[in-house]
Amino acid sequence: MSGAILLEAKGLGKRYPRTATGRQRLRALWHLLRGLPERDAVEVLKPLDLEVRRGESLAVIGENGAGKSTLLKLITGVLAPSSGEVRVHGRIGALLELGAGFHPELTGRENVRASALLHGLGAAEIEERMAAILDFADIGRAVDEPVKHYSSGMVVRLGFAVVTALRPELLITDEVLAVGDESFQKKCIAWLEDYVAADGTLLLVSHSMYHVQKLCRRAIWLKDGAVAASGEVFEVTQAYLAYHERKRAPRTEAGAAPPASGEIYRLLAVRLNGAPARDGLVLEQGAELALEAEVHSPDDRPPALAAGIVRLDGTPVYGLSSDMDGARPERIAPQRYRFRLRFVALPLLPGGYTVRVHPLDPEALRLFETAEWAFTVRGASREFGLVRLPHRWE
Amino acid sequence: MNARAELFGHFVRQELRRRYLGTLAAGGWALLHPLIQLAVYATVFSVIFAARMPEAPELPFAAWLAVAFWPWLAFSEALQRAAGVIHEQAPLIGKVPLPLPLLPAAAVVASFLLHGSGYLAVLLALALAGIPLAPLGIALALPLLALWFALALGLALLVSALSVFLRDLAQVVQQLLLLAFFLTPIFYARTMLPESWRPWLDLNPLTGLVEGLRHAWLGVPPPSPRALAVSIVAALVLLWLGSLVFRRTSRHFHDFL
Repeated sequence: MSGAILLEAKGLGKRYPRTATGRQRLRALWHLLRGLPERDAVEVLKPLDLEVRRGESLAVIGENGAGKSTLLKLITGVLAPSSGEVRVHGRIGALLELGAGFHPELTGRENVRASALLHGLGAAEIEERMAAILDFADIGRAVDEPVKHYSSGMVVRLGFAVVTALRPELLITDEVLAVGDESFQKKCIAWLEDYVAADGTLLLVSHSMYHVQKLCRRAIWLKDGAVAASGEVFEVTQAYLAYHERKRAPRTEAGAAPPASGEIYRLLAVRLNGAPARDGLVLEQGAELALEAEVHSPDDRPPALAAGIVRLDGTPVYGLSSDMDGARPERIAPQRYRFRLRFVALPLLPGGYTVRVHPLDPEALRLFETAEWAFTVRGASREFGLVRLPHRWE
Repeated sequence: MNARAELFGHFVRQELRRRYLGTLAAGGWALLHPLIQLAVYATVFSVIFAARMPEAPELPFAAWLAVAFWPWLAFSEALQRAAGVIHEQAPLIGKVPLPLPLLPAAAVVASFLLHGSGYLAVLLALALAGIPLAPLGIALALPLLALWFALALGLALLVSALSVFLRDLAQVVQQLLLLAFFLTPIFYARTMLPESWRPWLDLNPLTGLVEGLRHAWLGVPPPSPRALAVSIVAALVLLWLGSLVFRRTSRHFHDFL
């Protein structure tokens, strides 16, 4: 599947010089003229290596300000790197902003010509492809009106239509699918899918994990200017989504207030899938989750245990307690009881979750403590929601 | 290469269009405006001030002024445009990879095309009015105009690159151009200066060009070889310096816009 290297970057990084005051600008100019590196600069992209092979589309994901656009600009050559180098072995088509460089006074048709020229097309090629461009944009007679009278959606249509005419070997797009109406978005996605299927290579920045997973096989996740994860698209997007869910979740302090008396039932040890419980367990979709909890019982009566799974943003998925099921713990030592709970073939969809455990008194009335650990379910599923419901197509 | 030439043509057209877009006479102004201006100068200086040049007392002052004034207009407007052109195209520079030297070059070419056609109209009008223009003047004038163009291009590269870093440069350029206008014998003749000042004019690279054009068209005495040498050296040095500075800085324009 993967062909020749189309794009390679080595140690590619970017630092922006400080340019707020005239004095800083003057000093930066002096440095450039003497060919010196800039010292007083803000690092927005830490040096990274990147390799994209022909037909191997790559998505760049991350929060706002993570350095995604900077990376694309470095690759297209709009921006000069502060370190490292980038080499592209093929024709680039860059769509960093739809309708960039459109002149408001000129008509749509004139702007298509100008824009295609800017993207490196010759005048003869442009005339040849004009009909196809206008057909794709589908804005009717408005093409002969000045662009200043266009709605933003119409500008976007025209901008994307120009790109469809470029037929680049490497197409770089920065969050351009987010605009335009539903039907035009679908048209763009369909075009991109065809482009990728015809061995085109896409470098895509998008906040839509749906688009990312649909169009790309690989992804890198940029966080604060550094690569947080890189690899197969499902793994990276899931790690990214899990990070977001964790961030959104309100910080719950572990442990409801224990009763005033010294008589508390508390957790002594918890094991997940045989290993001491800690954050970061990774499960394949449909794998098993085995929970083992040892509980201290101050009066040596068999305690109860509640356990459950919560999505990282706090949405409960499933919860149960031992007394509901009539399950009794095994007494392994004086005042020490052990529960074993096994979720067979966990039906959770890929994403970030927490497993939560509470020791209860023997009557299962008082809750003494909350312990929780984050884990990730990994998989290539495109289903939506939290769990896979048993189903059948008939 | 072909596509780049077409892109350059696009930028030149854009430069020309931004002056006349939406006006009724469009390109007609390029010819009409200089002719009106010439008529005004002819009236003011010949009728009101009755100005005469000591070097060519038989010539109307307007003719004496005109042969040097329109190339100066092309030069000064090219530099004023160069100081703003990168800022104007800033929205584009961050989005599309462009061969950036085309931008100041297009500003210079557009300005010389525009005022070049005005110059032609003015020369024709002078000839029709009975001013004896040397018929072979054009052979001498063309290399001088080319030199003037080279001077403008070198300075435009320098000015446009520096304007990205020094925001006040556009104002400074305007003041410097005003100063240069009066330091160049466009509105006056070298012979009108005190004896001790005259040799200093040779240090101005524009002096040789202005005096050369007058010699070419009107047959007044030629400029000193020293003045012409200064013009040639200045054009070469500025072309070299301008492209060096532009090359060193243009990759980083986006950081400062």
